[in-house]
Amino acid sequence: MQFIRMTMVVAFVVAALPGFAKDKEAQFKSVEAKHFERAEGVELSPEFTDYLYAELRAELTKAKLFGQVLGEGEVVDAADAPSSIIIEGNITEYKKGSVAKDALIGFTAGWRSMKVDTTIKRRSDQSVVASPQIHVRASPRWKDKVLAKEAAHQIVNELKKALKDKDPAK
Amino acid sequence: MVSRVILGFGTVALLALSAETTVAFADEPKPTPDNTIHVELTEPVKPQAFARPLKFSLTDVTAQPMLVYKPRNGIFLDRTPVEITREAFSNCLKSADMLAPDRESADFLLTVYLFRFGLTDSSGMDFFGKVELAVVVKNPKTGKSQQVSAAGTSISGVALRKKNIQKHVLEDINNAFGDALRNFLRGQNLRDAITALDVPPDTKAPATTTPPGSDKPIGTPIG
Repeated sequence: MQFIRMTMVVAFVVAALPGFAKDKEAQFKSVEAKHFERAEGVELSPEFTDYLYAELRAELTKAKLFGQVLGEGEVVDAADAPSSIIIEGNITEYKKGSVAKDALIGFTAGWRSMKVDTTIKRRSDQSVVASPQIHVRASPRWKDKVLAKEAAHQIVNELKKALKDKDPAK
Repeated sequence: MVSRVILGFGTVALLALSAETTVAFADEPKPTPDNTIHVELTEPVKPQAFARPLKFSLTDVTAQPMLVYKPRNGIFLDRTPVEITREAFSNCLKSADMLAPDRESADFLLTVYLFRFGLTDSSGMDFFGKVELAVVVKNPKTGKSQQVSAAGTSISGVALRKKNIQKHVLEDINNAFGDALRNFLRGQNLRDAITALDVPPDTKAPATTTPPGSDKPIGTPIG
């Protein structure tokens, strides 16, 4: 019995060890998120892009893939440029949804929807690393900024996938 | 009997709640030591390096209100955003030895216009801190100036307890403020402005007269 208890304690300690390990070094030196542009006809509040920009930066910081999350238009040392990336985007479509449909039908009917085309470029030569397309939906009873939160989350997930096996210097 | 007691408790609870709500709505929040936060950059933002060593002098910062969050008896700043901004700019420039001891010895004069300092509308699931400023960079030798805009944003989670709300709001404003200063001091826009306005120290440029109105940024300051 005592042996089983001891074995369990050792197993827990071994399982917890990776948690104490030092954070692995960031894959890229820096990332710069730019304010996303909007296609004609996209009726979102003027503050929306600001909010999306802030959310994207918060998500990029959480991702821990980058040494620094830079503000838009920040100067980068030439030596760091090859291992730095830029995220640009364009909100191509926004449907504001219908509260009535959401209340009467349910099952995501009448939800708001937003489509975003993003481009991830290497800073040094402007080569495109990835260009994920994001589609997010949310209830019309929530603020439109909930879409920004979800979009930022999805963009960073796509970014993680795209950069998983990329060499920062190539 | 039991139902009467429950009803009694319910009435008392409702009365207490309504009294608190009345107090909360009747009075505008007032600053007290409990609802006041101290915003200060945790570490100065190191300005970018220019082609030649330059010195800056901060001439002016405009005013803003000190209430940053109205619900739950409000959250106030312990100093005006003018003081906070002036101190932060001075510290950042000082940290890179770019602060001129006086106006006369400065290569460039900076006049800061704060458009927004605090929280702004968010998704409801978090606090959205935003600091927007415009800085007029003026070369006192030539009298020419350019406006450089900068903005900083930050997101932090909501909280239920007043103490945690205060902590998150402080963290949010601090981060947004640091971000705005970084956006200005390390931004390509400042570099471009300096490149356009700078004249080598030995060149005697003609003192062109620029009307004082041109120093003001385009747009109306908020607050």
